Amino acid sequence: MSQPQRGVIPQSKEALLKSYTKKLKDDVKSMLDNFTEIVKLSRIEEDSQVTKILQAEQDQYEMQVRAANIVRAGESLMKLVSDLKQFLILNDFPSVNESISQKTQLYKHMQNDLDAKLMTLRDELSADLYELEDEYYASSYK
Amino acid sequence: MASASVNVSVEAVQEHKIQEVTLDGQEIYIPPLSMSENLAKLAHKIDFYKDESEDKGKPTSEGEKEVEEEASKAAVQPSLWPWDNIRNKLKAALTEMSVLLDVLNITKEKRYMLLDHVSQDAPEAKSAIQLMAKKKGLQSAAGVLLAGAERLKKSQQEMGTRPQNEFHIELLKLRQNWRLKKVGKTILGDLSYKSAGSRFWQGGSFEVTKNTNIANGEGDNMASTRSSLEVVIPTELEGSAFVQVEVKTVEGSMNLTSAILRMPHGLGPYPSDAHWQTKLEAAQNVLFCKELFSQLAREAVQLKSFVPYIVVGNQIISNVFPNVQLSIVLCHSTGKKDKKSQHPGKVEHNHVLEHSLHQLLREVHFKSLNMSVPHPVTATIGVTKRRRMAGPEAISRRELLEMTESETLLEQIIKQTRHAVLRLRTMKVIDAVAAKFPDPQICAHWSCLNSSLESNVRVIITSQGYEAMRPTWQSLYLEIGVNDIKVVTRERRRIILSFEEKEIEDLLLWQISQHHIAICQSLARLLSWQYISHSSATGVGEMEDFATASSVLLVSPNSDKVIAVRSGPTTGLHVHMKSDAKDIDADLASILEAKWYNLTGTFKEIDLNRIDGRNFATKLELIMASVTRKR
Repeated sequence: MSQPQRGVIPQSKEALLKSYTKKLKDDVKSMLDNFTEIVKLSRIEEDSQVTKILQAEQDQYEMQVRAANIVRAGESLMKLVSDLKQFLILNDFPSVNESISQKTQLYKHMQNDLDAKLMTLRDELSADLYELEDEYYASSYK
Repeated sequence: MASASVNVSVEAVQEHKIQEVTLDGQEIYIPPLSMSENLAKLAHKIDFYKDESEDKGKPTSEGEKEVEEEASKAAVQPSLWPWDNIRNKLKAALTEMSVLLDVLNITKEKRYMLLDHVSQDAPEAKSAIQLMAKKKGLQSAAGVLLAGAERLKKSQQEMGTRPQNEFHIELLKLRQNWRLKKVGKTILGDLSYKSAGSRFWQGGSFEVTKNTNIANGEGDNMASTRSSLEVVIPTELEGSAFVQVEVKTVEGSMNLTSAILRMPHGLGPYPSDAHWQTKLEAAQNVLFCKELFSQLAREAVQLKSFVPYIVVGNQIISNVFPNVQLSIVLCHSTGKKDKKSQHPGKVEHNHVLEHSLHQLLREVHFKSLNMSVPHPVTATIGVTKRRRMAGPEAISRRELLEMTESETLLEQIIKQTRHAVLRLRTMKVIDAVAAKFPDPQICAHWSCLNSSLESNVRVIITSQGYEAMRPTWQSLYLEIGVNDIKVVTRERRRIILSFEEKEIEDLLLWQISQHHIAICQSLARLLSWQYISHSSATGVGEMEDFATASSVLLVSPNSDKVIAVRSGPTTGLHVHMKSDAKDIDADLASILEAKWYNLTGTFKEIDLNRIDGRNFATKLELIMASVTRKR
């Protein structure tokens, strides 16, 4: 997909990607075909085998169905966009690795930071504790 | 023109007329006439006069007409264009006349053809209906398309207005934090610690779903806080859990009645509409606790010890010291409220030990994943550096066996518990002794450098007001281990105490008695008294419960007073004084030095309570100062 440097794509993934491409083409083609058909239907035909009213009804239904088909193709395209996003999110390992290493860096940094803070705290506390112990054991209120 | 049924076309020959033939045989053609020239030529042939006289019949004003015709003829002669119009009209008239004639013939003679009424409007009306139908059809199609477009636009807009809650952004965030994969139509995630080195059988897979009813949420603020992504966690991992570690002092060897699950108050279930991160973290924690507990339970069953470990339900009980038991309980609340209220009893939960349990399991995970790199790359994986070096360093079999031994989690946690118990006990004993004996001041300084298996404390015994006298300090260094306490006294004697509290107490009491003797010696030196005898194990007097009493004999500078101090750990402090013997012979007195008087006489005990002073050191100093007579 967007990562050409990824190199070899597994077989199933490649098939999936191909199916996505096919779906895209199919949907666009279906939109175009249906639209063309609607335009064609809008022409008044002189001679027909069936009666005019039946013809008109049929044409109307056909137009509606074709319009609905166009809408369906549009929604299918939206679904395709969503699927592609999902695919990218779930299979984009370089970016996941990057985010993991970033997080690791962050946590390591945080750990060092906290360690340093804890050490200072410990030193301060032990110094204070020493004095407090002195004071406590020297006092008559134990 | 029905009558003229046969068309005969007469055309000019496509050959040009030859004007002349030149001498060399070349023919010179006359170029064909153009349309206008042809017309002009034809017009020449018309005899207008003749036409005029025939058509009109009555030449009214001959002369006038002639003049007029002449004029028009003269004007038209060069080009005949104006007449063209008339000719055309005439031609049209001729056609019309012919048609009229035909029509009249048809109507008159009805033998061959009939004229009939034709419904004139019908085809036009039909096309209008068709047109209407088409229009309607197109309109409905347009309506469908517009509705679809509107829906798409709306969904797109919705996505734009709430970018922080958009499903894919949430999914991306989820992906960055958790392992996800797509199986068929569903997205599955994994919250187990398998990737971190865990080998627990229970899997932690969860399902990611899209929260669809977020758009029609009742409140705006509700909708904004709720995420468009939901996670479905397996039921056995729901709720929240923790491992409760409790160190209890029990009467008798083992108390089984305490083996009930107790749920603390603070651990409530998280709300059902919590953020997925919270849910997943809670579930992961549940999984971790389960793994920890199952590992501990397995070890408890396998381990051999003098007092067997008991695993009851979700509780593991083990004896740490006599009368002290460690209970590890897995608490898992699945969100049922009634369970919680049953146990209002306070649970003494040891957070430090729980934390170290977690730490231990994580260490196990880490070790199973991060093995040392094989040194020749072809060597087996998992051989530590020490084992690799065992050959070159010729390590004995015993050492190798030691190397293979590894401690289980339960053993480690029991060690830590022992240490914790021991440390707590020592602390309490020191504090109790310090509170009980105000006279020598007991001061304990705990070192900040300690581990979960080792800590140390320095106990300093001083007398108040005499701290500056360094030799009087009785300092002890206690190193608290797992099973015993190592003590290093001031004189660098090393004593190993067991876990019993009494031993520490005895040691401290003994050290106090030693301190008293030490202060006597120091004061004697300070006030230039003579220090004539010291016994650290006096054989006379009251028997001590443990250890021995020490005694010291001091003589005043001019040798007329003797003070004997006896200090025992249990019998306490006794100060005796011998004054001058008055019953010595006068004869002898003249020859003897004063010091010889001290050989006889009786000691009298001094009631220390009646001497002024804050502590023994002050009192003794006062006594010594008051009995010393100037020479």
